[in-house]
Amino acid sequence: MHELSIASSVVDSVLEFIDTHEVKKVLTVRLAVGELSYVETEQLRFCYSAITQETAMENSTLEIESVAAVVVCPQCDYRGSPKYWEDALSAAPIPTLECPHCHSTVEPVQGHDCAIKTIQFIACADEMPGNRRKQ
Amino acid sequence: MIQTIEASPDEIYDIELEHSLLEANAKLAKENRALLDRHGIAAIDVMGAIGSGKTTLIGSLVGRLKDRLGIAVLNGDATTSTDADLIAGQNVPVVQIATVNGCHLDANLVGKALRKIDLAKLKLIFIENIGNLICPAEFPLGSKARVVVVSVTEGQYMVRKHPHMFFGADVVVINKIDLASAMEVSVADLIADVHKLKPGIKVIPTSCKNGAGLDELTSSLLAV
Ligand SMILES: Nc1nc2c(ncn2[C@@H]2O[C@H](COP(=O)(O)OP(=O)(O)O)[C@@H](O)[C@H]2O)c(=O)[nH]1
Ligand SMILES: [Mg+2]
Ligand SMILES: [Zn+2]
Repeated sequence: MHELSIASSVVDSVLEFIDTHEVKKVLTVRLAVGELSYVETEQLRFCYSAITQETAMENSTLEIESVAAVVVCPQCDYRGSPKYWEDALSAAPIPTLECPHCHSTVEPVQGHDCAIKTIQFIACADEMPGNRRKQ
Repeated sequence: MIQTIEASPDEIYDIELEHSLLEANAKLAKENRALLDRHGIAAIDVMGAIGSGKTTLIGSLVGRLKDRLGIAVLNGDATTSTDADLIAGQNVPVVQIATVNGCHLDANLVGKALRKIDLAKLKLIFIENIGNLICPAEFPLGSKARVVVVSVTEGQYMVRKHPHMFFGADVVVINKIDLASAMEVSVADLIADVHKLKPGIKVIPTSCKNGAGLDELTSSLLAV
């Protein structure tokens, strides 16, 4: 469900971009997915390829770059990787919001977002790149 | 929004979008929050699995508080009409929110619902989110506090299995503690798991069957 809603918002955003630009075919969409957003990349790819069928994004490649979590501690000013919970019975260690230094609660400052970084596409032949600025 | 445009001979373009998928919702959530703040209303977003007891808890809290302050309920997870009746029977304004994707509430839908009720007399709004353990955490609604409801019937390892839910929580409720021994679940271990993910967060064990913990939950929600 989570992956499907993320895939749909990626596709909606890219289709909106296509509507306002002279795009013949989308080749690649590059995403940056935060470690704390818990997106399952294989599921995301599956949803993406399913919902891009019969659109200008059909057969485009979805590249997913993972963004590591960074946390900041308001108590001791620690800034860096989160503390991981190693014995949590899960396949991978779970990032936590416990400060690795002073054990207070940290704030995540990176790694909870999910963003489209770039779109690679083939333009309609007569278009000048200067014309495709949006907003 | 677009920063660089690079042309290549075969007319392939690479456009940097830097388009956050969460930003649009976050912006609407801020607008909801500003609207609520202007009216002096605290909204409380209640998240948790289907059947964890969100509706029942909200019903008990409304029963305890409605004579003291104006309350409304936005229900995004009305699976049956009994659910709706449970709250509507208390004579507080209720807005049902039907989502398109059935996945999570978002700030846009909550904003629309807020425009349907008379905010003037309200002090507290409960928002029952959809019973989905992953999605809602990504989508702030503009609430002042988020309550995550876990029930002992979800088993001993529920917290470890869904760590993501707890990161944005302000209060965690461990509900149905009347069933803990029958389920052979240790409430103390569940609390310890929550604190491993987020030290210091308020965790309140409750039972809607016998009323345990409901006074404490009421006063901590009034304090937010
Ligand atoms: N034994 C017990 N049952 C509860 C408790 N809280 C809720 N329930 C029951 O659990 C079921 C699901 O509750 P509901 O509030 O509809 O869950 P929701 O899907 O999270 O809104 C209902 O049959 C409730 O009566 C509790 O503390 N103890
Ligand atoms: Mg419910
Ligand atoms: Zn610290």
